[in-house]
Amino acid sequence: MFVFKRLTQAIVATLCVFALSSCASGQKFSEMSSSMPKTPTGQGRIYIYRTSALGAAIQPSIKVDGEVVGSAVPQGFVYVDRPAGNHEISASTEVKRTLSLTLAPGDKRYVRMDVSFGFFAGHIYPVLVEPAEGEAAIKNLHYIGK
Amino acid sequence: MLCLLFLTGCAFDVLHEKQLSASFAPISGQGRTWTLNEDLDVSFEGTTYKTHLKKGTRWQEVGHIAQGDVYVTKDQIVTVEGSNIHEAQVVLSGESVVGCFLPVEGTFAPARKPVAVHFAQN
Repeated sequence: MFVFKRLTQAIVATLCVFALSSCASGQKFSEMSSSMPKTPTGQGRIYIYRTSALGAAIQPSIKVDGEVVGSAVPQGFVYVDRPAGNHEISASTEVKRTLSLTLAPGDKRYVRMDVSFGFFAGHIYPVLVEPAEGEAAIKNLHYIGK
Repeated sequence: MLCLLFLTGCAFDVLHEKQLSASFAPISGQGRTWTLNEDLDVSFEGTTYKTHLKKGTRWQEVGHIAQGDVYVTKDQIVTVEGSNIHEAQVVLSGESVVGCFLPVEGTFAPARKPVAVHFAQN
């Protein structure tokens, strides 16, 4: 019984260390927002972030219109400026689930990468969120862009 | 339990909301506006997800498709969700929501059944 308890503690501790080491560690949004470049005229900005550490080992690439812009790292965010118009966000997990959205000039759109369980592995998929929710969420997240 | 896990794992691949091609015609000038007087849930053919429209949101007419008048709002995010998620605009015929126009795809996602809207004209 004692050995089982110690083994459980060791496994939990290892998982905690792994989860923490899997989180983003770049500059926080609140520290870099004042120095971020302005969105070019005629374009809008898309913020993509992940808060959940659930399934931290799964960190698929995030794609905007098929182009990789970063990875879905827990506690991390990226942003991209794109021309006004239609755009598609996706993550390359075992199942591809896309989000299609419109972008107006000067727009700010916020996309949260959510986690759900699949049969073999977790899925990470994009969800369009309200601007107020997105703004509040990314304040303490870390930049993980290129 | 295994069956449940299996179904959950496959859910992303089997929920395809019905989409019909739609030709969008923007309106010229200021369209009609109205405010939704109560919360509303709209179900769509081919998916179990519902789209929630919030009480108090203000809607602006932006155009027409064959199925009805197309309205947008700045007060909430509107999406139609199946295997994929699509940003959407509400389509009204008479005083009922009959579905959503998906501007990126240029298609119409029909509601399972029309949902009567209680609104105040602005």
